[in-house]
Amino acid sequence: MANIDRRIVFILVALAVIIPMLLSINLPVSVSEPTQKFYDYVEDLPAGSTIMIAFDYGPSSLAELNPMAKALLKQCFDRDIRVIGITLVVDAPTLASALIQEVAAEKGAVEGEDYVFLGFRPGAVQVILGMGTDIASVYDTDYNGTAIGEIPMMQNITNYDQIDLLVDFTSSDTVESWIVYANDEYNQKIAAGVTGVIIAQMFPYLQTGQLVGLLSGILGAAEYENLIGAPAKGMQWINVESFVHLLIVVLVVIGNISYFIHRTREE
Amino acid sequence: MKRQVPLVLCFVFGIVMILTQFSPHSFSQGVYKEVISWALIIGPFALVLATVTLIQTHTARIRRRTEHWQYSLVVFAGLIIMVLIGIPFGPQNTIFEWLYNNVQLPMDATTFSLLAFFIVSAAYRAFRARTFEASLLLITALIVMMGNVPVGDLIWNTVLFWTPWEDGTSWWRQWILDNPNLSARRGIILGVSLGVISQSIRIILGIERSYLGGGD
Amino acid sequence: MDFWSLIGIWVAAFLTLSIYSVLYRDNPFYRFAEHLFVGVSVGYGIVLSIYQGFIPLAWKPFAAAITGESMSGFIKLIPICIGLLFFARLSPRHTWLIRYPIAILIGFGSGIAIPKVLRANIFEQTHGTIAPFAEIAAGTLSGWDIFEAVLIVVGVICTLTYFFFAVEHRGPVKWLSKVGIAFLMIGFGSAFGNTVMGRVALLIQRVDFLLNDWIGAILTIF
Repeated sequence: MANIDRRIVFILVALAVIIPMLLSINLPVSVSEPTQKFYDYVEDLPAGSTIMIAFDYGPSSLAELNPMAKALLKQCFDRDIRVIGITLVVDAPTLASALIQEVAAEKGAVEGEDYVFLGFRPGAVQVILGMGTDIASVYDTDYNGTAIGEIPMMQNITNYDQIDLLVDFTSSDTVESWIVYANDEYNQKIAAGVTGVIIAQMFPYLQTGQLVGLLSGILGAAEYENLIGAPAKGMQWINVESFVHLLIVVLVVIGNISYFIHRTREE
Repeated sequence: MKRQVPLVLCFVFGIVMILTQFSPHSFSQGVYKEVISWALIIGPFALVLATVTLIQTHTARIRRRTEHWQYSLVVFAGLIIMVLIGIPFGPQNTIFEWLYNNVQLPMDATTFSLLAFFIVSAAYRAFRARTFEASLLLITALIVMMGNVPVGDLIWNTVLFWTPWEDGTSWWRQWILDNPNLSARRGIILGVSLGVISQSIRIILGIERSYLGGGD
Repeated sequence: MDFWSLIGIWVAAFLTLSIYSVLYRDNPFYRFAEHLFVGVSVGYGIVLSIYQGFIPLAWKPFAAAITGESMSGFIKLIPICIGLLFFARLSPRHTWLIRYPIAILIGFGSGIAIPKVLRANIFEQTHGTIAPFAEIAAGTLSGWDIFEAVLIVVGVICTLTYFFFAVEHRGPVKWLSKVGIAFLMIGFGSAFGNTVMGRVALLIQRVDFLLNDWIGAILTIF
């Protein structure tokens, strides 16, 4: 059994994605505690607060992180929370800028007043530390080239003292850099939305309060869409995901049964 | 000159960054901020290294006519098109963004999505309960996997409805992540952090010199 | 949908399918897409690094100093000159010069990391392990919470013991280390379960694109 052509397994995986996607299945999604804490923290911020969102991911992770970033942006614009977007990842600016503009257009948010996207700067540690002193020392203009002093919402924002929450959407270790260099040095409150690969390593930081909330991959996105009452791609994809996970469990069970039968025969 | 000066520079910058963090004096803080701004300026130049290495690798492939050398021309074609459009017109140019959205983005996303096929195939072939440790890994992975999707709770509530847990699959997933996973991860964080600190001290003191590379 | 958006969808679909073709076997379409991806990504990186790195962080302060706009810009000439040494990589005879900026960045990174990693990752994480016991003393934890707090302490100590190679793993140390392996296996199992979710999500997004955006666009024509 274990020696079947792996292309047969590939076809099964493809079918486990395509068929449920065509059928539009909709199972209920419960909300985990880290997601609830994330949502509650944002919900408890008064109108007029400022959130900095670090879009620290490129196209390779947009499937997992774009839906949750979108859900958070919707919540922010609905609640009159101002958003400053940045990125520490070189291949992110175009997709991050497009995402913010898409949600802003949907919610009627005004650039420069409700949100601003500052773009990318190389050197994660230097950028994080530099913004602790003065954001303008790192970003003299926004992504469009407008001087930071001419952006209305940046008039009273100098450094992390005026940022109520920093959210890092990431597929890499940038979240640990934010914790070590922004939370520890400047006491900046941090929440994270991360890809599946790094979910497990975030839990020690969640327990110590170094992270105030955590969104776990596409599941976190679905939970957040559920919380803000705006089901979108996260909810749709987690339902499709169910069938692939079921397929994997079935394959692993079959693989183990054939392994034990083979071992018993050999003995 | 070739090895001693870099070692001295590394020592000076390392010691300055440590000491200034412990002194609230305005001079000390001024130095701290200035060094950060220097590092910000030097950082972008480091990207030259990656680009030069890539160009040298593919130039060598073309020159030596190694197998599939023609594809190195495709690398240069992609690179040159992006640079020729991006540098004069900027990253917000419509054509540049079109190329990003319709060429770079789908290929990047698709390349990484191939891993879904390979991870399933690998799980089917290699995920075996051969030993106690392997069984632990397998069972945990299956619980977390099923706890991550809504169908997991649907199955639990249908089959295991008599247990004390409602939505038991996601409950157990969360419990594993919050407790045994957390302690293992914390052990790793503590171990790695102690390693980072001792390695940093060795670098600053010039005991660890591998970053200087070979040669004289 | 405008013409260029439609062309974009077709190009993206062609490249997506070219990459998926490797699942059958290696072929020219896959190799073409793979190499194009490398070239385009590096090209994008170069443009963004210039516009979002060199120009704002190096060129602007330098230009401000030359034009007399900000005399403090002159001091920025020092890091700019140090950064330019990276170009020594282009000359085999002078390639050793790149050790200067590398040494500065490594010294900076090491110096800044020592106190901060110590506080954020060692003190905070140790505190997080012990802190629940203060609540036990205060009598605010349930029996289950106490079990969890003890489990975490045992897990951390045993995991650290597994990585502790200064003593031979014999006797009690061996058993602590074995328990540590069990915790690590649960940790890796959790990571695997979550990684599967992540990888599958990437596939779902591409299938969503092919079914809804690409085939959807074809169907609208008919």
